[in-house]
Amino acid sequence: MFFWLTAALLTLAASTAVLWPFLRAPAAAHEGAGHDIEVYRDQLREVERDASTGLVGAAEAEEARAEIGRRILRLADGRAGGNTRTTSDRIGRLLVSAAVLAVPVLGWGAYAVLGSPALPDQRLEARLTKSPAESSMDELVARAELHLRQNPQDGRGWDVLAPIYLRMGRNDDAVTAFRNAIRLDGASAQREGGLGEALVAAAQGIVSTDAQAAFERALAVDPKDARARYFLALGYSQEGKNADAADLWRQMAADLPADSPWRGAARQELARLGAPEAAGQTAASGPAPTKDQVDAAMEMSSEDRLAMIEGMVSQLDARLRENPADLDGWQRLVRSYQVLGRQQEARDALARGVAALGTGSAEAARLTAFASGLGVAQQ
Amino acid sequence: MTRKQKRLAVIAGGLVFLGAAAGLTFYALGQKTSYFYMPADLHAAVLQPGQRIRLGGLVEEGSIVRGQGTEVAFAVTDTQDTVKVRYAGILPDLFREGQGVVAEGSFAGDGVFVADSVLAKHDETYMPKEVAEGLKEKGVWQPE
Amino acid sequence: MTVELGHFALVLALALSLVQAAVPLVGARMEHPRLMAVAEPAALTAFALVALAFAALTAAHVTSDFSVVNVWENSHSLKPMLYKFTGVWGSHEGSMLLWVLILTLFGALVAVGGRNLPQRLRATVLAVQGMIGVAFTLFILTTSNPFARLDPAPIEGRDLNPVLQDIGLAVHPPLLYLGYVGFSISFAFAIAALIDGRIDAAWARWVRPWTLLAWVFLTGGIAMGSYWAYYELGWGGFWFWDPVENASFMPWLAGTALLHSAIVMEKRAALKIWTVLLAILTFSLSLLGTFLVRSGVLTSVHAFATDPTRGVFILAILTFFIGGALVLFALRAPSLAAGGLFQPVSREGALVLNNLFLSTAAATVLVGTLYPLVVEAVGGDRISVGAPFFNLTFVPLMVPLLLIVPFGPLLAWKRGDLYAVAQRLLAAFGGAIAVTLLALVFIDRSAAFAALGFGLAAWLVFGALTDLALKSGLPGVPLATAARRLAGLPRSVYGTALAHAGLGLTVLGIVSVTALEAERFVTMKPGDTAEVGGYTLRFEGLQPRQGPNFVEDRATFVVAGRGGEALGTVMAAKRMYTTRQMPTTESGIRTFGLGQLYVSLGDLTEGGGIVVRAWWKPLVTLIWGGALVMMAGGALSLADRRLRVGAPAPRRKAARQEAAA
Repeated sequence: MFFWLTAALLTLAASTAVLWPFLRAPAAAHEGAGHDIEVYRDQLREVERDASTGLVGAAEAEEARAEIGRRILRLADGRAGGNTRTTSDRIGRLLVSAAVLAVPVLGWGAYAVLGSPALPDQRLEARLTKSPAESSMDELVARAELHLRQNPQDGRGWDVLAPIYLRMGRNDDAVTAFRNAIRLDGASAQREGGLGEALVAAAQGIVSTDAQAAFERALAVDPKDARARYFLALGYSQEGKNADAADLWRQMAADLPADSPWRGAARQELARLGAPEAAGQTAASGPAPTKDQVDAAMEMSSEDRLAMIEGMVSQLDARLRENPADLDGWQRLVRSYQVLGRQQEARDALARGVAALGTGSAEAARLTAFASGLGVAQQ
Repeated sequence: MTRKQKRLAVIAGGLVFLGAAAGLTFYALGQKTSYFYMPADLHAAVLQPGQRIRLGGLVEEGSIVRGQGTEVAFAVTDTQDTVKVRYAGILPDLFREGQGVVAEGSFAGDGVFVADSVLAKHDETYMPKEVAEGLKEKGVWQPE
Repeated sequence: MTVELGHFALVLALALSLVQAAVPLVGARMEHPRLMAVAEPAALTAFALVALAFAALTAAHVTSDFSVVNVWENSHSLKPMLYKFTGVWGSHEGSMLLWVLILTLFGALVAVGGRNLPQRLRATVLAVQGMIGVAFTLFILTTSNPFARLDPAPIEGRDLNPVLQDIGLAVHPPLLYLGYVGFSISFAFAIAALIDGRIDAAWARWVRPWTLLAWVFLTGGIAMGSYWAYYELGWGGFWFWDPVENASFMPWLAGTALLHSAIVMEKRAALKIWTVLLAILTFSLSLLGTFLVRSGVLTSVHAFATDPTRGVFILAILTFFIGGALVLFALRAPSLAAGGLFQPVSREGALVLNNLFLSTAAATVLVGTLYPLVVEAVGGDRISVGAPFFNLTFVPLMVPLLLIVPFGPLLAWKRGDLYAVAQRLLAAFGGAIAVTLLALVFIDRSAAFAALGFGLAAWLVFGALTDLALKSGLPGVPLATAARRLAGLPRSVYGTALAHAGLGLTVLGIVSVTALEAERFVTMKPGDTAEVGGYTLRFEGLQPRQGPNFVEDRATFVVAGRGGEALGTVMAAKRMYTTRQMPTTESGIRTFGLGQLYVSLGDLTEGGGIVVRAWWKPLVTLIWGGALVMMAGGALSLADRRLRVGAPAPRRKAARQEAAA
């Protein structure tokens, strides 16, 4: 309301400005050569001043005077013609009416296209002091940041903020916040595990030594902490210690409750490694999933997860069609189809693998043996 | 001299002056401009020994070698060809691997480009204009 | 609501500028006083509205309102308050708004101060100003609207480009724009004269102070921009002949020429057509400068991310105003009464020579700046025209010009006596020769060019002093009389002398730095020392430091003089602005006398050292100090009663003044 009122007042002022000369009595017309004469007189006075202070010589001043005099004479000649044209007041009024109208029409028209009148100002200070119930996530975080800038010793504040940073993907900030929380309020499995996860996320999914140390500290507090175990295992697998990784994941798959997301993640990692969930069998190597894949898998529903796994399987399938001399790959493909319950495709993959590796070759024999171990028989 | 002759003399003087200035300008344009090349363009280019050029492209990943002292070596690439560059000076703040760069200087006898100035941008999202256009022509870079 | 009110005010200002452009122009053709009288209230209101818009944008920046795209893109909640404020014009959008603000300010000044101008002239001038206002307001609203909004608003901004987070941003762009846009007044007067087909006597009286005002600001803007680049880029250079620099230098050259030709026009009613053309060209070059900077068509060390679509719009504006003005000039100039002829050896002759040199110099700079564009358009080759070109063309044009500068003010109008003037300048000439010889003997026996440069600078300064001495009656009168007369000299005489002496000082600084600067380029570890230009720097090490929105490693160097005396420290830093993840180098500068010790940091080396580049730049501050003296000269001339803005005061007031005198 205030906006529209002010805008209307501004428009009124602008229109009045255009109309102004028509609202006043006409000023006495002082037109024509009068101005020029004034200028020349002034120039004459200037010559006198300069001459009196000796800035110009007497002869020079005399010449200047004569020249200005000639200009005045010329001016008088030119004035005889006069420029007294009668002015048409009707056209003037018409024109000025159009102009007065154009101001609001143009102004409001263009503003209607360009402006966002419904959008209020959003000054940062106001946003950070309004009721938390009305605040967005970003605003709440900014507010917490402001609070922590002023009270950097508030461990509780850091503790609350850190996981939020992590979820927002502000990984470096999350690392700092977790470190502050640990420094001020001591280690806990939550904080150390969070620090480790933030470090992993900040390093694009690589479990660094720092992160590993954090997870180990978390396990020192709580040996059952699922997140710490999961990431430690991930670290092992990234180092190529697949057996250790598989052991840890198998433990998790065994002792975590069925509804724990970490259990699903661990089983999926096992599937990726090609390691069975029961101990005792060798695991095949495979590239570590990227951080995105891990994150995605962890947050997915089981259906989505299945879809993702299927996506990965069909990628593998496609790759093998182009690059078939890969025993390891064929083994994974056969096993994947078997795990997904797609028996026919598993058998098909086995057949293709054998053909690709060369029927009768040692590698083909190993693939057949591997498949029969899974219960997939050659047709 | 009559009035008319004086006038003619003044006009002639002005013309001579302008002619001399124009001549100097065009001479300088011929002599003192430096051409811009990307590494792959250099095959077709005919360069006098010691001729100053501007070499543009991307700083090749992993090519920056800092010597013991103040000299820096790096390579400029347009992804088709690569030229080694030597530079003694302070590199611009935004000089980074994989980023656009323009080096001005000339080729030494050993085929290494010796730069006396290296230009990157003030703005982290911005590619030097010539480099951006050169890369676009070669089809290796698409602005988003 | 302030943001939207600002937006609305800007839109309304566009409508009002449109009225200002059309109604008074028609009124002037129809001789309709009331229609013509619309110009002043329209100009004043347009200024008030643009000022309101600018204030609203400033408020949004200061209060970190990230719902405004412009604020979000160029600000940060932790940015120091000064940069929140100057950041208003740190972005393209904001700087164009500043441009229009200054344009409407000048329009308002003409409306207020021009009551004594013939009404027709005033109405036409304001209408032309209105047209420029329409073009640029439309440009802002359609291609670079600073009031575009974001919903939902981000909670944090992306920060201003770190290079711009500097006090230089507070000074340089406003001064530069005051200069650029100030020339729009002379332009508008020129167009008005062409439309009317006559040049009023008041014309010259008006054009000169306005040109002088714009010139003073432009001089300051260029000098401050040069100093800013000098310390911010960390290269130690003060002028790179970069397209963006040339863009501001060309209007300065043309404006300087205009300044001098306007004197001839006022005093001798000659050179009228040339002055009109020069006024058009000067503002055209200002527009070209705006285009070059804003479109990014040329590679520049000063350019920031630019947008070609904006370039096309400005190019259209450019074509309309320059093309229109030149067509109008071609059609109407013949009908303007030509001025009289005059003797080549006279004050006006010297000023013509000045114009010849300055406009030719501007032309060579223009050719060098645009040549790469032409070559690329024609043959597709990408070339660059750099310092070697300008040194070969510009310098030879400037040296003879500088040589004749001291003659100008001493020559009489109409018929000068070159021989007599040369005699009077003998002392100054002798002084210059002495300086040359001293430089040759004491500084460097082999540097003949440098010595001649020092001599040239001295010639300019001594010449200016000679002018003052002669005008106060020396050597013919007793000293006391001379002092009295010196004090009574018109300010414009002082202005001329100061401006010419300032030019000499700038030349002195340039020659000194070019010829005598010492440079060291070394790798230093803590405790190492390096000697440059007689000063010894000891590197103390790097300390990390946290700034408001950056972190930096600050290097401290202890400075010792020639005799080992302690002279304090100089600090340089490498900064990282956290939001943009953008590194910058802050050079360390210490001023000793008129010279400066300049330290710039490079990369860290493997052995724990750091690359350091250090310069001793003797007399370097004179480069910008000279520009300040030039500005002071211009300002003093402006304060001269004879130049005080506008046509003569109404008779009654004039009479009172005379009575008082």
